[in-house]
This record gives sequence, C-alpha cells and structure tokens, in this order.
Amino acid sequence: MAKQKLSGAEIVVEELKTEGAEVAFGIPGGALLDLYDVLYKEEAIRHILMRHEQCAAHAADGYARVSGKAGVCIATSGPGATNLVTGLANANMDSSPVVALTGQVPTSVIGTNAFQEASTFTITMPITKHNFLVKRTEDLPKVIHNAFYIANTGRKGVVLVDLPTDILAGKAKVDLHQKETFAGYKPNIKPNQVQIKRVVEILANAERPLILAGGGVISADAAVELRHLADFLGAPVVTTLMGKGAIPENHPFCLGMAGMHGQLYANRAINECDALLALGTRFSDRTTGWQLDQFAPDATLIHVDIDTAEINKNIQVDIPIVGDVKLALSGILKLLEKKRAKKSESEWEKRIKKMHEACDSCVEDISREGASVSDILIKEISRILDDDAIVTTEVGQCQMFAAHYYMTRKPRTFISSGGLGTMGFGFPAAIGAKVAAPDKKVVDIAGDGSFLMTCQDLATCVENDIPVVVCILDNRYLGMVRQWQELFYEKKYAHTGLGITPDFVKLAEAFGCYGERVEKPEDLKDALNNAFESGKPAVLDMIVGKEDKVLPMIPPGGGITGMIGTERCKHI
Amino acid sequence: MQTHIISLLVEDNPGVLTRMSGMFTQRGINITSLTVSPCEKEGLSRMTVAIEGSESELEMVRKQLSNLIEVVKVVDLKENEAIIRDLCLLKVHAKDSGARLEVMQLAESYGAKILDAALDSVTLELTEEPKKIDRFVDLMRHFGVKQLFRTGVTAIGISAGGGVEK
Repeated sequence: MAKQKLSGAEIVVEELKTEGAEVAFGIPGGALLDLYDVLYKEEAIRHILMRHEQCAAHAADGYARVSGKAGVCIATSGPGATNLVTGLANANMDSSPVVALTGQVPTSVIGTNAFQEASTFTITMPITKHNFLVKRTEDLPKVIHNAFYIANTGRKGVVLVDLPTDILAGKAKVDLHQKETFAGYKPNIKPNQVQIKRVVEILANAERPLILAGGGVISADAAVELRHLADFLGAPVVTTLMGKGAIPENHPFCLGMAGMHGQLYANRAINECDALLALGTRFSDRTTGWQLDQFAPDATLIHVDIDTAEINKNIQVDIPIVGDVKLALSGILKLLEKKRAKKSESEWEKRIKKMHEACDSCVEDISREGASVSDILIKEISRILDDDAIVTTEVGQCQMFAAHYYMTRKPRTFISSGGLGTMGFGFPAAIGAKVAAPDKKVVDIAGDGSFLMTCQDLATCVENDIPVVVCILDNRYLGMVRQWQELFYEKKYAHTGLGITPDFVKLAEAFGCYGERVEKPEDLKDALNNAFESGKPAVLDMIVGKEDKVLPMIPPGGGITGMIGTERCKHI
Repeated sequence: MQTHIISLLVEDNPGVLTRMSGMFTQRGINITSLTVSPCEKEGLSRMTVAIEGSESELEMVRKQLSNLIEVVKVVDLKENEAIIRDLCLLKVHAKDSGARLEVMQLAESYGAKILDAALDSVTLELTEEPKKIDRFVDLMRHFGVKQLFRTGVTAIGISAGGGVEK
C-alpha cells in the first residue's frame, strides 16, 4: 500500500475502523481536540458522550462482554485518564477486551506538571495487559493495530494508548494497516495433545466427573462444546460468577454457581466429585472457599486455561492444559467419542438430577418459606425476562442475589464485576450492553448504594436513546457490608446506613427517564412492563428489607461444605 | 529462601524496566540485584535480575514475566549451569605502609586489580562470582572499607541453548 501523509488523529481513526471499532464511549478534552476534530466528520464510528470517564470504561467493558469485540473508550489527559482507571482495572481483572485512548500533554512538556498532566502510562501499567505512550506519529499504525491484537487475543484484557497532543496533530507518511507484532507476544492457543489424551483417560474412567466452568468458557465462545461434553459424559456443570451463562441454568445437569454465595449443591458436588475439569477459571477464593481440603478432596484436578500464569497459582492441579478452552473441549470430545459410547445413566447422574431439582425448585418456588423480598424480586425478574435479555449487576447484595436467583440461559447475558467488585459498574455496563445489542432487553440489577456512584449517566441514556432499565434493591444500606456486620461484627452497623437517600423516581424523572416505585413484589411485573413500554431509560425503585440477607453463604475463612443459612434450602 | 537469577531478553523500549520491576513489586518480591545492558540483538536489551524467594515464587514470577508483551525470553539460570559475575570497586583504608602492603598482597591473591594507591587508602577492582566477592569484602573490612560499589550480577548460561524462547 502506498504511503499516505496523515495526521496522527487521522491515523488513529483510520486504524480504529480497520480494527472494526464501530462505537467509542468517551469524553473529549483539551488534549484530544485534534482527535475529536477527526471524529466529528467520521460516520463509521458512533461516539457516545458519557458523563464520567469511569462510565466510559465500564460501558466499553459491557459492550465487549456482550458483543465479544473489543470495546473502545476515550478520555482526555490528567483527570480524564485517572477517572478511567477503576473501569480499566475492572475490565482487565475480568479479562474483558477494552482499548482505551487517552490524551496526553505534548511530548515537549511531559514530566513538567503541565496543566492536566498525569503519568497515565505509569499509573495504568499494573492494571492493563499492556500500554503504550506514543512518541512518534509514524508509530501509530503499529501501535493501534497491536492494541487491538493484544486486547483480543490470548487472555483478553485492557490495552491503553496514551496520545500526546503533538503526536495527534503531527503529520507523517505512513503505511496504514501494518500487521507487525511483538516478538515476545505469542499467545498460547493450541492445547497440548498429550495432555488432552491424559484428560480423556481420566474423564472416561471417572465415576463422578464434574465440570467447573469459568468466564473463559464464555470468552472462548465454547458454550456449545461445553454442553456436548456434559451431555456425553453425564457430567454436571457448576459455574463461577464469571461463568454464569456458559450453560443454561435450567439444564438438568447444571447445578448453578458454586462458591461463597453459590448454590448449596453446586458446592456439595465439588466436594463429592472424583474428577474435576476446571475450564477458564482462576480458582478465586470466592469460588474455592478458604478451606482447600474441602475443595474436591478426592478428585483428579484438571485445569484448562489460556494463561500459563494461572496454572498452579491458587490450587495445585494434577493435569494442566494451557490453551483455548474451545479447542481443548473439541479435542477432548473428539477423543472421548472414539474411546467409548455414551454410558447409561449412572448413580452420580441420578444424584445430580436430584441436586439440580432441589436448587432449581428453590429458585422456581417464588415465595417459599424464609424467602426475603429481595429473593422474590430477583426470581420475578428471572421469570419475566426472556432468554435473550441481558442482566448486568452492581456489586454487593444485589449482585449476589442476582447470581443466586437469576436463571441465566445464554452466554453473554449475565454481566457482572467479578474480580474487582466495582460498585457502580452495572449501570454503565448496561449502557454498553444495550449499545452492543439494541434489540435485547437490558436490565441492571442495582443496589441503592451502587447506583448512586454512577447514576449521572442517566443523562447519557436519555441523550443517546439507550433505554436500559435499572432495578434498584432499595434498602437504604450498603447491604453486603451490613450483612457482614450483622453476622460477624455483632450488629455494629458502622457507616453502612445511607440515611436519607434520594427519591429515585423523582431522580429518574429529573433526568427525563421513566421512574416507578415498587412497594410489593407482586407489582414488579407491571412496573417492568411499564418501563419497557415507556421506551425510555427507566429506574424502578424496589423497596426491600434492610434485614434481607444473601444466604446461604460460606462464612469468611470457611470451606465449601461449611455454608451457613442452609436451613432455607431444600435438602435431599 | 534462595537466591535465583533470572535472565531476560526484553524490547529496548522506555518503560520496560518499570513494567518488569512493577511485576516484582506487585508480588512483594525484593530484587537484590539488577543489571541492564545492550545485547547481541539490536533493539533488545538483556536484564539480569537476582531475587530471593521460594521455588514456587520463582515459578510464578517466571510465568508472569513471560506474560509481559515486551519480554522476549525468560531464562532461570541455575548456579551450576551458569557463569555468574559481579564487578566490585572498593576503597580500603591503609593507615600505614604495613597495612597497605597487606591489602595489596591479599588483593593479588584474589585476583583483584589495584586501580589506585594513596598514602591512606588503596582502590581495588574485583570481577568474580558474587560469593567470592563477599569473602573478599569481608576480609577487607578488617582494614576498614571506605567505599564499596558493586554492579550487581550478570550471568551467562553454559549450555548452548539456555532457556526457552516464548
């Protein structure tokens, strides 16, 4: 291709288009005037003006998780970039592909405490998969291409490109669409065949096999392969929080989420299995509990992960497979099908079906004894929404109520802040989700504490016609911390009471959104209907009890067989 | 706890040292010695990092260093499979001619070079294995060490390959 003389800003935008970016969530600023000047006339990229940079990063993250494509966010130098930090850390922790573009002061004054200067490059180094500070306009084609390549391959993550104003304004003769990459970046995708054979041997002979599906299954688009393997093996599937949606949760072999706030029998199954196939999960303590002797004590542990550094990090495994989950699962299935025919129903399968029914009926039976209003509301939402609807969550009780009682039926329809646990994530992530999938219903299951952290972006929704529905579990408390104070800190509710909170209905209306209060769970169906019918962004203020607790749970320091609050569960 | 020497081939970009050292900081591992220099390939640098830690910490560090985009190669150099060198410059008190003579004799027996001699001090250079330098410095403390500089270790594998390309 002939070299073209272009400005840095023009190169950035051309490369964004080449990489398939259709949307960018951002806020302009002094250091980005040249970039926005090019975006002004650019029709191939939809720019959505956010009201806070943190929301721009979360929206890009939500967009990425729903679409499977890298999300793009843009912020100016200094405070713009520092505001992005939480959102980027969040996306990177959950291996979500995001490319962030930040403005920077001119190269001639970097390091002088110039106006709106912050060392974005050093600040974001530990919270990104990689980052660049661009020093020459002619480097831009390679840098932007690699930003997307690195974000989207291997263990996906965040790549930030810091763009000084003179680099954006400067002109250079460049070859667009360079495909040169880094010598040191070779993501390990193909699983080792010898290891696959060993795994097949173990799984074929296991009496009580179990699959633990993490976010890597969704990220690798391996849900179909997962279901085939589960069906063929007669192996139940439990998931992590990030793995919710990897298998339909009403599938008779799905036992739901395991771990601290997981289903009772998901945890039991982990304790009882004799072979555990863990897929795309990092064995976080929220999944394993803290008494590791209770975690699959009799099982041969198999770990498939695309990141070598996750192998033997939190749990010592017997057979590691480094590589893409989808490829590994296809490899395992192919050999397994050759090796043996599908077995008749085993004792383990019979037990699993009972376990599934026990937890399932807990979710299905809306107002069984001991159910709190919060439980009932989430079960209602789960019942009302169709299979394609997307649910995002804030962080805290609302998140764990949703994780426990919302029945996820498809991959990429349950979007939550798993690793970083960022309050305020759900609403802007819902914005990104709705932009990625405008035809789907998008609901943010929120808490009043979380929603107040990012609610200013209701303005973005109204202005850009992004009708997401925020359902607030309103208990006027930072509920999860309150729950811990109640259970483990002698009911000393230190600074968890929110006191006088805003009238969320009026707040919604003030922004031009639809608002409605839901005093009783039985009113939710109509309220949700009204919200969707309004065609506007909407806020439903659902009044719940301050004593509502997410139970059962593994208490801090406990193991997966030591859940408390199980008296409300259906036992078998 | 054990000393491990990791040899890295990295892209010669600004920030690569921060990125590498940040990885150790995040894991709470102290770098005991670090050298950075050009190497046989243009555009790449070699870093030799000495750390103290357990085998499992070393394993984790090795994997996480490999994950860094600008790291091209990571080699964990075992003591018996590598030649390890450190360069030491030290200025030793020599209060009289007897002391001076003794310092110079000991220096010679260690293979240290005498760089400068003054009436009250002798300046020496020794390039050796770190442990041997430790012994030499301990010996010199007997006379009084005025100043001590060490470059930190650099090391080269003995076998032809040495380490795994990513």
